[in-house]
Amino acid sequence: MLIELKDVNKTYNNGQPLHVLKGIDLSIDRGEFVSIMGASGSGKSTLLNILGILDNYDTGEYYIDGRLIKGLTEKQAADYRNRMIGFIFQSFNLIGFKTAVENVELPLFYQGVSRHKRHELAMQYLDKLGLTDWAHHYPNEMSGGQKQRVAIARALITNPKIILADEPTGALDSKTSEEVMQLLSRLNREEGVTIIVVTHESGVANCTDKIVHIKDGIIGQIEDNREHHASVFGTSTIMK
Amino acid sequence: MRFDVDSFREIADSLVRNKSRSLLTGFGVFWGIFMLLFLIGGGQGLKQMITSNFEGFATNTGILVSSQTSLPFKGFKEGRYWRLSYTDVDRLKQMMPELQTVTPVISTGGRDAVYGTNTSTASVRGIYADYQRIETPKIRYGRYLNDADILQERKVCVIGKRIYNDLFPDGGDPCGAFIQVGPVYYQVVGVDYSSGNISIGGRSDQSVLIPLPLAQKIYNRGRDVDLICTAAYSGIRMSDLEPRMRQIIAQQHQFDPSDKQAMVLINTEQMFALVDNLFMGVNFLIWLVGLGTILAGVIGVSNIMMVTVRERTTEIGIRRAIGATPRDILSQIILESIALTLVAGSFGIVFAVQLLRLMEKIVSMNPDNPAASFQIGFGLAVAAALLLTLLGVVAGMAPASRAMAIKPVDAMRDE
Repeated sequence: MLIELKDVNKTYNNGQPLHVLKGIDLSIDRGEFVSIMGASGSGKSTLLNILGILDNYDTGEYYIDGRLIKGLTEKQAADYRNRMIGFIFQSFNLIGFKTAVENVELPLFYQGVSRHKRHELAMQYLDKLGLTDWAHHYPNEMSGGQKQRVAIARALITNPKIILADEPTGALDSKTSEEVMQLLSRLNREEGVTIIVVTHESGVANCTDKIVHIKDGIIGQIEDNREHHASVFGTSTIMK
Repeated sequence: MRFDVDSFREIADSLVRNKSRSLLTGFGVFWGIFMLLFLIGGGQGLKQMITSNFEGFATNTGILVSSQTSLPFKGFKEGRYWRLSYTDVDRLKQMMPELQTVTPVISTGGRDAVYGTNTSTASVRGIYADYQRIETPKIRYGRYLNDADILQERKVCVIGKRIYNDLFPDGGDPCGAFIQVGPVYYQVVGVDYSSGNISIGGRSDQSVLIPLPLAQKIYNRGRDVDLICTAAYSGIRMSDLEPRMRQIIAQQHQFDPSDKQAMVLINTEQMFALVDNLFMGVNFLIWLVGLGTILAGVIGVSNIMMVTVRERTTEIGIRRAIGATPRDILSQIILESIALTLVAGSFGIVFAVQLLRLMEKIVSMNPDNPAASFQIGFGLAVAAALLLTLLGVVAGMAPASRAMAIKPVDAMRDE
């Protein structure tokens, strides 16, 4: 198993203690294309933060590729994030004063990869995503879909074990949303990249092979969706 | 920390992104370092200008001047006038072996010196040859008065720079020429170019020095002298000798030795100390004002960086999410702070140096001003640059620690 969560609990202690994750057990294998779906407040963002080593959990165990992720120093956490995880954010989170290629290079900069090599690599990835012509444009000169593809290139460049996508289509129109999801699914199929998508849109979840439903901090149903039989409104809705 | 082209590009990027803000912040530091260096240079120049007034003057000199008594003594009423006489010179010479030189001066002010059609106002001073141990002459032409001039009471003179310029506007060696001062013609034997501003019976650049016995005769002075100049051997403090000198003179002229008003004793050692103290105070103020201004500028930098960090929360969060360690963020913020202070400060250093150069030029344009160096030393400039780097680190500290506290999740939260 690539990812294993065993009875993970998380409580926020801002005034009123808030028990967000109440014993999460989850396994995700290499090469899977999974979505974690839930309404807002269900704990899916917290789960994503823990999966992405952006936040700590209180009790339980979290393994990536057999390595326990617990009690890491900031430096270790940064290093793991850098080498094992690629992030795709809802709002793209590109650095505005850097060009596309510079944004894609950035994770390698923090790995200490030489200037020449990381530029070459970044151009390769941009090429793969069809953005060669846009390499030297700034994010505000690009469309949402292009920005998200730059972000995907940035997530891929370190060759991470997992790609974590947090509402990757949240800021895109339906057409580009579909394109981005197709891109992710193609990456999963052709390159065998493990992708976890966190979303509240059933249409997005439907593009993935496995849908993990999370509600009130507990994992409900785990749906096998390899047939992609659900409608854009999800399998469990009356509008199917 | 990584130091490569990219680190510097990152810094340059983020500083250039907000030009006007960087500029305004940098101005505080620029002005601070400029003020400090300019004040230091200016103070040094001013000090040199003032101390050059004492140029050529022995630091261990005491000058005796007679005055009115202020205390009754041995049946004499107070308010009595008395005069130093030539015998006082011999008496001091004999009774005070600590004194290297004891030499009298007779001075008469404001007489016309005439050569051909040129005139100049001169103060005639009668001196002995050993007066040069008190006020070192800078002989430009000819020679100083010598013992033979004194003994034979030759009608010869050494003229000051200003007299020379007035009477001999075409320049050249004036020695051998006869100039008329008052009713008498003197042959010029030397030109003294010293420009010290301590005037003992007249400024040295306006004086016509003649043998003292001659002056006594020409100006009907009998055995009176106006001043007695004394210089002690080096290592002996003039202020230690003062009571005994007063005692010797007081006994002879019958006034109270404790009567400080009866005889003025100008002690150059005390004057030098006074000037030194004055400039110590001035320097203290310079450093206080200069460092204070720099500090204010640096606090400004720190403040702005604080705001910048807050604005860049998302950017820093993204960096953290994709693998920047807290250390990477820390070094970036601190290097930005150093870059801002160092660049602004370097402009300050350059501006101060240029302005000091200009000031030196302006001061030296007036030939009456003594030569003075306003420029700061290279070492001081380097020290200032080092200080700026240090201050940059200090200024970056608070914003950097705030930036380090930014969690990667903040990138997603702040939208």
